[in-house]
Amino acid sequence: MESVIRLDQLTKTYRHRRGLASLSLDIARGEVFGYLGPNGAGKSTTIRMLVDLIRPTSGTVRVLGLDPRSDAVAVQRRIGYLAGDFVVDTRQTVDDCLTFLANLHGGISRARITGLAERLDLDLGARIKALSKGNRQKVGLVQAFMHQPELLILDEPTSGLDPLVQQTFLRLVAEAKAAGQTVFMSSHIMSEVERVADRVGIIRDGRLVTVDSVAALRHRAVRRVRITFATPVPTADFDALPNVTDLTIVDTVLDCRVHGSPDALVKHAARHTIVDLLSEEPDLEELFLTYYEGHDSVAA
Amino acid sequence: MLLRNVFTKTVRDGRRALSAWALGTAAVAAMYASFYPQLAGGAMTDVLATFPQALRDAFRLDDISSAAGYLQSTTFGLLVPLLITMYGIATGTRALAGDEEAGHLDVLITHPVSRTRLLVHRFAALATGATVIAGVVFAVMLAIRSGARLDTVLIGGFAGQCLNAALLAMTFGALAIALGAAGAGRGLVLGVSAGIGVLAYAANTFGAQLGVGWARDLSPFHHYLGGEPLRNGVQWVDAGILAAMTAVLLAVGVWSFNRRDLT
Repeated sequence: MESVIRLDQLTKTYRHRRGLASLSLDIARGEVFGYLGPNGAGKSTTIRMLVDLIRPTSGTVRVLGLDPRSDAVAVQRRIGYLAGDFVVDTRQTVDDCLTFLANLHGGISRARITGLAERLDLDLGARIKALSKGNRQKVGLVQAFMHQPELLILDEPTSGLDPLVQQTFLRLVAEAKAAGQTVFMSSHIMSEVERVADRVGIIRDGRLVTVDSVAALRHRAVRRVRITFATPVPTADFDALPNVTDLTIVDTVLDCRVHGSPDALVKHAARHTIVDLLSEEPDLEELFLTYYEGHDSVAA
Repeated sequence: MLLRNVFTKTVRDGRRALSAWALGTAAVAAMYASFYPQLAGGAMTDVLATFPQALRDAFRLDDISSAAGYLQSTTFGLLVPLLITMYGIATGTRALAGDEEAGHLDVLITHPVSRTRLLVHRFAALATGATVIAGVVFAVMLAIRSGARLDTVLIGGFAGQCLNAALLAMTFGALAIALGAAGAGRGLVLGVSAGIGVLAYAANTFGAQLGVGWARDLSPFHHYLGGEPLRNGVQWVDAGILAAMTAVLLAVGVWSFNRRDLT
């Protein structure tokens, strides 16, 4: 499979803060990759090296088979980039800003810009100064998508967007995937990427801690489960389940955390009459915790 | 179409500020130049005769009664170079350091624009602005020339002095761009450029008396005024030296801009 992004032993050392430690990653053509991690984990550091805003201390970066530094302009022509903090001169209008950026690429039809703006409900005539954070983010999305690049590199693309626009964004990503474009997007919220991403990489403290498909990650995740029974049940009934922790039973209500599959818990609980069963979707923080708990126990 | 590339976009974004610089500089120049008839005759010369010789040498006050001498010690000796240097430093600071600090460079750099091209286009916009300011000053000087009894200065004299003024702005603009390219923040670029400006002005004014003539030869102000273009017409060597200083600063800027991380 052809690599669109290939990072090999990528390391970035800063004087006063954490960078990246020996990160290797391969993204195939046509893939949608979710790059997840808490704030400050190194997501933007990685992304800024992909687009040659910063240079690696050691290791190599290849984007579309090219070196983002020595072939900067060739790479820039073929990628669409949205910065984590997309900022442009606020005195210009949206239209002027986008027309200018489109001219730097050349060959972008006017209809492409107006079409995207319409779908995102972005007013082209407005001055950027007058726009909310979410609307400024839409300008960033349009400039990243407008030239239908082979590779989209999006740093926290949904930040500031309202839920409706987030849906539109996810559709744009799905369309890009359908058109054969590759998408590399970062987020600190699992739910943002799980619906569109083929694979997810989780980064923490400058290290890639896991790369896996969304389904496999979910399988490993911790979820909170609450079961309400018809009559009070004894705690002892559930004590023996190996993947259940933080178990509490107050009267008829059982609360616990389930690591991985809830199969054993459900089969156990089914011996009693169940009034209600609530299983929360695992969130990313839980996912991190699962991973680290697992990681630590392996290390120990 | 002013949204075509970085150069035209920068000119477009700076058009209001540039109008203010051009009109302001030309107005101040015109005002001071038109005082000439009142100051040239008698009283001023008598007062200046009482000044110590060293002071008269430093500020070229010995010949203030001639039109060229008067303009060299007032309009073109102080105000025009001061204002146009300020334009160069302010615009050069904004070109990279200011834009980087505001976060505007990331978007440009990640579109198909190389760092070298970005720097060169930003400088070209600055050079265009400097030429416009010097051009407006030149036009205004020609307009008031006979009314203010400045006819003894030839048109070629004004042209030579205004050419040097444009090059002076470019030199200091290139200095500020180079400092920003090397990664200095906006405040630091402004401070260092202004500091070098003051030192260079002092080196030109007092260098000879302090026995550091070499420092004077290094000063852009010396090449701006030293050849007395108002009297002697265009000074190609001085203009060439200013252009060469600009080119060296830009080359250093390109070199360091391409080597570093953007913040």
